[in-house]
Amino acid sequence: MKLKHMMLSSAFAAAVAAAVPLQTAAETPPDVMAMAWNIDAISTFDPAQVGEVVTIELLANTCDRLMEYDPEDETNIVPGLAESYEVSEDGTTITFKIREGLTFPSGNPATAQEMAWSLHRVLKIGLGAAAALTEYGFTAENAEERITAPDDTTLVMQFDQAYPISLVLQAIAAYPVATLMDRDTIMANEVDGDMGNKYLATRTECVGPYHLARWNPGEVVILERNEEYWGEQPAMKTILIRHVAEAATQRLMLTSGDIDVARDLTPEDIADVSQIEGIEIATALKPQLTYLALNNEFGPFTDPRARLALRYLLDYDAMGQSFLRDIGVIRQSPVQLGAFGALSEEEGRAFSLDVERARELLAEAGVEPGTKFSLILGTHPYSMPIGQHFQENAAEAGLDVTVERMANAQLFARVRGREFEMAVMSWQTSVGDAHGMASRQIYNPDNAAEAKLTQYPSWRSAYFSEEYNQRVMDALLEPDTAKREELYHQLQLDQMQEGPQVFIFQTSQNVAYRTALKGWTFHGFRTFYNMVSK
Amino acid sequence: MRVAAQGGYLTPRRRRRLREALVAIASIGVTLLGLVALTFFIGRMLPLDPVIKIVGENAPQAAYDRVYRELGLDQPLIVQFLGYLKSAVTLDLGNSLTSGRPVLEDIGRVFPATIELATVAMVIGTGLGVPLGVLSAMYANSWIDHVVRTVCLIGYSAPNFWLGLMGLMIFYAGLGWVSGPGRIDFVYEYGFEQRTGLLLIDTIMAGNWDAFRNAVSHIVLPAAILAFSAMTYISRMTRSFMAAQLTQEYIITARVKGLSWRRTVWRHAFRNIAVQVLTVIALSYAFLLEGAVLTETVFAWPGFGRYLTSALLAGDMNAVVGCTLIIGLIFVTINLICDVLYRVLDPRTR
Amino acid sequence: MDDMYQHGVRGWLAAPVPASAAQARAQQIWLGCKRFAANRSALAGLVFLLLLVIVAWLAPLIAPYNPFQQSLAARLMPPSAAHWFGTDELGRDILSRIIYGTRITLYIAVLTAGIVAPVGLIVGTIAGYFGGWIDLVLMRIVDVFLAFPSLILALAFVTALGPGIENAVIALSLAAWPPIARLARAETLTIRKSDYVAAMRMQGASHLRIIWSDVIPMCLPSVVVRVTLNMAIVILTAAGLGFLGLGAQPPSPEWGAMLSTGREFMMNAWWVAAMPGIAILLTSLAVNLAGDGLRDVLDPRHD
Repeated sequence: MKLKHMMLSSAFAAAVAAAVPLQTAAETPPDVMAMAWNIDAISTFDPAQVGEVVTIELLANTCDRLMEYDPEDETNIVPGLAESYEVSEDGTTITFKIREGLTFPSGNPATAQEMAWSLHRVLKIGLGAAAALTEYGFTAENAEERITAPDDTTLVMQFDQAYPISLVLQAIAAYPVATLMDRDTIMANEVDGDMGNKYLATRTECVGPYHLARWNPGEVVILERNEEYWGEQPAMKTILIRHVAEAATQRLMLTSGDIDVARDLTPEDIADVSQIEGIEIATALKPQLTYLALNNEFGPFTDPRARLALRYLLDYDAMGQSFLRDIGVIRQSPVQLGAFGALSEEEGRAFSLDVERARELLAEAGVEPGTKFSLILGTHPYSMPIGQHFQENAAEAGLDVTVERMANAQLFARVRGREFEMAVMSWQTSVGDAHGMASRQIYNPDNAAEAKLTQYPSWRSAYFSEEYNQRVMDALLEPDTAKREELYHQLQLDQMQEGPQVFIFQTSQNVAYRTALKGWTFHGFRTFYNMVSK
Repeated sequence: MRVAAQGGYLTPRRRRRLREALVAIASIGVTLLGLVALTFFIGRMLPLDPVIKIVGENAPQAAYDRVYRELGLDQPLIVQFLGYLKSAVTLDLGNSLTSGRPVLEDIGRVFPATIELATVAMVIGTGLGVPLGVLSAMYANSWIDHVVRTVCLIGYSAPNFWLGLMGLMIFYAGLGWVSGPGRIDFVYEYGFEQRTGLLLIDTIMAGNWDAFRNAVSHIVLPAAILAFSAMTYISRMTRSFMAAQLTQEYIITARVKGLSWRRTVWRHAFRNIAVQVLTVIALSYAFLLEGAVLTETVFAWPGFGRYLTSALLAGDMNAVVGCTLIIGLIFVTINLICDVLYRVLDPRTR
Repeated sequence: MDDMYQHGVRGWLAAPVPASAAQARAQQIWLGCKRFAANRSALAGLVFLLLLVIVAWLAPLIAPYNPFQQSLAARLMPPSAAHWFGTDELGRDILSRIIYGTRITLYIAVLTAGIVAPVGLIVGTIAGYFGGWIDLVLMRIVDVFLAFPSLILALAFVTALGPGIENAVIALSLAAWPPIARLARAETLTIRKSDYVAAMRMQGASHLRIIWSDVIPMCLPSVVVRVTLNMAIVILTAAGLGFLGLGAQPPSPEWGAMLSTGREFMMNAWWVAAMPGIAILLTSLAVNLAGDGLRDVLDPRHD
C-alpha cells in the first residue's frame, strides 16, 4: 500500500511541478519591433507578382519607390527614389530625375537604367502586378520603347493619353512596380528565363531601409535594417512579424508584452484592450471596400431591381454597431471615402434595412418567393457574420439563401471563373482617386467570357454597360477638376441604384500597440516602419 | 494483438522466416503503392485552383494558362499519376503552393516542433498511464480502479481541441500559470541558435535558461492535453494486459510461496507484459501525431499539424497530399517497428 | 387479463427449456437486457442517448428561442435567466442552438454507422469467407486506408469533396469502415472453419446464402459493439471537422462549428466555446458508456 501512495503522490507531484513554471513576463528588446499579424496571404516577394495587402505593405518598407506617400497626408505624393519629376506640355510624358549615388545591398550601383529594367521586367513577366501598368497603356511589347532611361539619372515614361498626373503617380510611381531592383544579382540567379521570379520569391534585392532576412511561410517574417541605406536610418534594427491568425491569440500576446503591435483584433478585443494602460489604438481608413458580388448573368440579377432589392436586406446600422464596429465604416458607394471625387459619408449611405421594400422590388423584378440563392464567402472574420446576417434577412423577404464558406483561394477561383451567384468579396485600390474603383468596379472593357478579364470585378460579375464605360472614361479624362468631381458624384449616385454589387463597408484598420513604441504611423496607402522608435 | 511467427535458428525455419519477411516486405510495398494512389486521388479531387496560388488572383489569362501547363494539369490523368509516383518514390513532393519551397523541406522545418510536443506528451502519458494501469489492475474494482477508469472514460470522450481551449482560458488567461500559444515567447525566439529544432534542447545547449524556462512554460499545457489522451489509451491497455497476467497460474504460485502482492505484480507479472506495453506506447506515439493536428491548431504550435491544417484551408494541394503521404509513411513505419519489437523482444516468440 | 398476459410473457421468457428457436432468441435478448440494465453506468449512457433522441425530435417544442433568430443588439450576452447558456456573436440563443444541434450530431452519427456497418461487414465477410486473392486484394485496400490516422484521412477527403454535412458523413465513413471490415474478417475466419458451415456446404447451400444467413449473423454482435464504440470517435471527429470549418455550413448549429466561432471570443465570452464543448463531451461519454455495456452483453469474449 505504501508503494501505491508513493506512486500516486509522485505522479501528482510531477503533474503539479510541471504546471508551476511561472509565466515569465517578457518585454521586447529596444531595437526590435515585434508585431502579430495574419500574414498567410504572402506567396512571394517579387514585386512583379504581389497583389496582397500584406506583401505590398512589407515591400513598401523594404523597397523604395520612385515616389512616396506623405506620412502626414495620404493624398500627397512626395519624392522617393526620384528627386523630382516633370510633365510634358501635352501631359503624356513624365520625366523622373533619379537620385545619384544609390547602391544596392550587393554593392552594385543603382541607377535609372535598373529602374527602367525593373518596370520592363514587371510587364514582361506579366503576372498580377502588371495590371498596374497595362491599365495605363503599357504592354510587354511597347515597354522598352515607352519606358526609357536616356542616362543614369533620367527615367522617361511615355503614356498613350493625358491621364491625371496625381492619379498616375499614385498608381505607378508610388506602387511596388516602381521599385529599383538589383538587375545583375537577379539575372545571375535566373532560372529557365523567369527573370528571377523564383529567386525573388523569398528575397528583396532592392534599394530600401530594410531587407527581408527571413520568411517562414505561415510563421514569421523578419526584416533587418540596411546599414548602407541612402536615407535616414530607421530606429528599429529588426522588425519581427509573427503570423498569428486568431485575434484572441494576438490579444493575449499584446497584453502579456510578447509583442508591440497587434494588427487583427476583433471589435470586442479593441474595446477591451483600449481600457488597458500602456496600450493604444490607432485607426486608419483603408481604400478597400467589401461588398456582395452579384453575378449579373445569373437569372434574377439581370434585373437591376432585384439587385437593388438586396441592398435593402442588410441592417447596416446594427452591423456597424456590432461586428463591424471599429473595423469598418458603412459605405454603399463604389468609391471609398477619402478618394478624390468620393461622395460624402452621408451621401454614400442611402440604404437601410427595409424588408418590405425589398419584397416589392423582388416582386417587380419577377423573383418568386422561395427562390434559391447561393452565397459563397471566405475566411475573413467579418465574412461569416455578414453572410449569416444577410441569409436571415433574405429569408424574411422570402429568399432561400445557402451560405458556404471556403478557403480564400477557392473563393477567388470561383469568382474569377464567374462560377457563383453571390459572394462576399473585398477589393482594394491603390489610388486615392475615384477612378481607382470606377475603372475596375464599373468599367468593363470586354464582357465576353473568353476575355477573362479576371482582374476586373465588373467582368467577374458579368456587368457591362456601354453608357457607364463612357462615363468612367469621360470622368477620367475631364481636365476641369471641379467638373471631374461632379461627374464622379453623379456616377456613384446612379451606380448605387443600378450597379452590379451591393457595397457594404470600407475597411477601417485598427492597430493596437504598446505605448513603449513611439511614432507608429500609417494611413490607408502605407505603413511607415521607419518612423517607429522606442 | 499481433500474432508473432514462431522461429528459430534452423536453416529450414530460417528460410521460412526469410520467405515470410519477403511476403511482409511485398505487402508493405503494395500498401505504400496504395498509399500513393490514394493521396494522388485525393489531390486530384481537390476543387481548389493551384494555378491561382501561383500566379495571383489578378493575373492575366496568358500567365494563368502558362502555369497551368507548367504544372502538367493539361496531361492525361495516367501520365500525371506516373509522374506523381516517380516523385513520391524519390520523396520529391513538389513545391508548396503557398511558400514556393519544396514540401519536404517545409515539413522538415516544422517537424521538430511536433516531435518535441509529442515526445513530451508521450513521456507524461507513459509516466502516468503505465502505473495507473497497473494499479487499476492490481486493485481491480477498488476505488482506485474506478477513479482511473472514470478518468480514462473522460479522456476517451472529450474533444481534445476543446480541452485545449478550456486549458488556455483557465491556466493561461485566468490563472497565468503557463505561457500562451506558440512554442516560445517571440522575444526569445531568435536569441539562440536552433541546432536541433527542439527548443528544450537548443535552449539548454545555448545555456539560455530564461528561454528554457519560457519554452517549458509554453509546452506544458499542450503536452499535458495530448498526454491525457495517450495516458488514457496506455493505462487502459496496461490494465487489460495486467489483468490477464494476474489470472495466470504462476501468480498464484508466487503468492503461495509467500511473495507480497506488490512484489509479485511488479517483479513478475510486469516483466511479462513489458513488451506488450512497449508496443502500445509506440502505437500511442503514432496517435499523438494525429492528435497534434487539432491541438497544434488551438495552441498555434508551429508544427506539422498546423502546417497541414493551414495548407488545407489555403488549398495548398501539394502540401496536403505531401503531408498525408508522410503521415501514412510514418504510420506504416511505426507499425513495422512495433512488429519487429514484438518479434525481437518478446521471449515467447524467440 | 393484462396480468395474465404479463405473467405469461414472463413465464415464457423464464422457461428453463425454450420450446422454439424464437423463444430461445427472445430469452437471450431478455437476459441481455437484464444484464445491460444491471450495469448502472451503461444504463445512464443509454438513458442520456434516449433523452438526446427525444430532444432532437421535439426540438421545436423544447427550444426557448428560434435557433436562427439573430439579434445583433443582444450579441455575446453572458448566461442569464433569459438565455441560460448565453448568446453568440449574432445574438442567437446558444441553448436553442445546442438543442437543434443534437439533430445534426445524431444525423451524422447514425448515417455514418448506417454506411460503415454494412460496408465493413460485407467487405470483411467476403474477404474472410472466400480467402485467396479476393481476401488479399480487399485486405490490402483496408491496409491502405488503415495506414492513415482517421482524422487525417477524413480531413483530406472532406477538403477534396468540399465542406458540408453530407460530405463530412462520406469522409467520416471512408475513414471508419476499414477497422470494421478487419474485425468482420477475423470473425468470419473462425466461423468459416466451423463444422456447420461445412455441413451447409454439403447440403448444397450457395456461398451467398451461407454468408447471408450464417456468417453475417454470427459477426453481427461484435460489429455492432465496435460500431457503437466507434460512434464516439465519429462524433469527436465530426466536431473536429466542424471546428476547422469543414463540416456543416451556417447557419446550421453544428456543435463543432459553434465551438470554433467561440474560439474567437475566448477572452471575452467563454460560454460561446464552453457550452457546445460540454454537449460534445456528454454525448460521446454517453455513447462510450452505452457501448461498453453493450459489449459486456453481446461480446463477452472481449477482455
